[in-house]
Amino acid sequence: MSLPFSIPRIWTLAAATVTQLLRMKIMGFLLVFCVIVVVAGFAFPVMNPEQQLKLLKDVSFGALQLFSMVIAICATALLLPRDLEDRTLYTILAKPVPRFEYLLGKLFGVLILIGSGLLLMDIAFSAVLWLRESLVLAQSVAALQQEGTATPEAITQIKAIVGKQGLTWNLHLGVVAIFLKASVITALTLMISCFASSTLFTIVISFLITIAGHGQGLIRDYFLSGQGGMFKMLFSALLAIVTPDMAVFDIVDNVINGELVTLPSFGLMAGIATAYAIGYSVVSHLLFVEKEL
Amino acid sequence: MSAPASSIPAVTVENLTKVFKAGLGQAPFTAVRDLSLQVNTGEVYGLIGPNGCGKSTTMKAILGLVTPTRGHTSVFGKPSIEVESRRDVGFLPENPYFYKHLNGLETLLFYGRLCSMKGPELKDRAKEMLAITGLEDAANRRVSGYSKGMLQRLGLAQALLHRPRLVVLDEPTAGVDPSGSRKIRDLILGFKEQGITVLVTSHLLEQMQEVCDRVGIMGHGQMVREGRLDDLIAVENETELVLSDATPELLAEIRALVASKGHGAKLVRTGHPRTTLEKLFLEVADK
Repeated sequence: MSLPFSIPRIWTLAAATVTQLLRMKIMGFLLVFCVIVVVAGFAFPVMNPEQQLKLLKDVSFGALQLFSMVIAICATALLLPRDLEDRTLYTILAKPVPRFEYLLGKLFGVLILIGSGLLLMDIAFSAVLWLRESLVLAQSVAALQQEGTATPEAITQIKAIVGKQGLTWNLHLGVVAIFLKASVITALTLMISCFASSTLFTIVISFLITIAGHGQGLIRDYFLSGQGGMFKMLFSALLAIVTPDMAVFDIVDNVINGELVTLPSFGLMAGIATAYAIGYSVVSHLLFVEKEL
Repeated sequence: MSAPASSIPAVTVENLTKVFKAGLGQAPFTAVRDLSLQVNTGEVYGLIGPNGCGKSTTMKAILGLVTPTRGHTSVFGKPSIEVESRRDVGFLPENPYFYKHLNGLETLLFYGRLCSMKGPELKDRAKEMLAITGLEDAANRRVSGYSKGMLQRLGLAQALLHRPRLVVLDEPTAGVDPSGSRKIRDLILGFKEQGITVLVTSHLLEQMQEVCDRVGIMGHGQMVREGRLDDLIAVENETELVLSDATPELLAEIRALVASKGHGAKLVRTGHPRTTLEKLFLEVADK
């Protein structure tokens, strides 16, 4: 039985999207990120060991979030209007390419780019964190020895403190959470660009919805305090449809604080992200299939 | 019972009407109104008319890029709204642009893959198309550095890459110099020899006259005249007689003969036939 879509065709469109964005020098951000990480890793030696490692993680995860959000919104917002303006869309859709394959190709292209960028940044960040962790541990043990308090218990305690803030598998789950959040934002931006009249409109609306998504809890508290029943349910449902609840991805803060992420909470986050990404993609298709070119 | 493949028209447009919705407070715009036409397999059909008469909208409807408000269009019997109808179609839009980050060869490989072509077959075909369109030397140059004429030829190459049975050309010579324009004209004549059906629009009526078997003239979204080119442009009540090396005496005799035995016939004009500016340009430019 043949598939109702062509994976090689979607891959061709995704690969072209990646190349297009790469040649727009979009990955220059990676270089900036490496500089930020190195500076954050070695610029504040006077802080205590825990603070030094936490600051490095704070700055690095901040840069990772910024990178993924900016690419997810700006790069995605550019793709569709540019193809339409350059009439490249005509030559593509005049081939036997269903419109949903074109959209999926664009979506996967941006996601591949964000995923690869995050992977490279994760590798660079992990290397710097590991180096910094080793250095901080050696310095702390040396300080204990100088003070004459380097008992096995004290060394074990300092190792535990540094280890909690150091490189763990948990940190990579934080990076995956950032990727999942970026996937939702990418799908949302693609949906907006299917009906938007300009790139600027897409960027502004996507940023506003993303910001609203981060404050969804606050919005709910503000408008629904004292409300109940059907109104509360309808308002919450409407809010959840209009803006994805970005608080779902807040495990990044737990990861930075050295707290463990449980498998069920990670699974729930991945499930919600997938549901939003699929939902937005379906709406994108419904809008795009009706679009007059 | 379905009709045999050869008797199925390449393009059928039946009572096509396309109304574009306008913004708030504005009246909708009717681009095409109750248009019907048929392009037979193997012929070159020219669609001509002034700017904004609905030619491009008609082409887009045929290619499934816009949905008809009323009526329907089909390609080789398959409704245009079905993706499958585009398998046998090559399309060159007016002033085509391609991904600027790709070079000529990469562009053809990209479009070939979209048509499910792959491997050595695709690479060989892409190189063959670059050779046919005279872009071999520019194969590894980024498309952003191509001239208008080169882009047009690359557009033709991508349109023909997957060996379509129907080629749709929207203003294929727009912005191209006479020499490039002549090359494109020769390519169209080549398609005809290969049995490829061509649907073409152009403002260069002289060129259309050289390549088209049939033409349709559109105005205000409707078909104004349609038919075989020879029938449309023939002046029914005049006869052309072209002589070479005729002496003045012979011409005088002919005039006298017409006057004495013409039975009402009149000599309308005599003189030297003119060449065209395009032919003159090509003769001079080629030297």
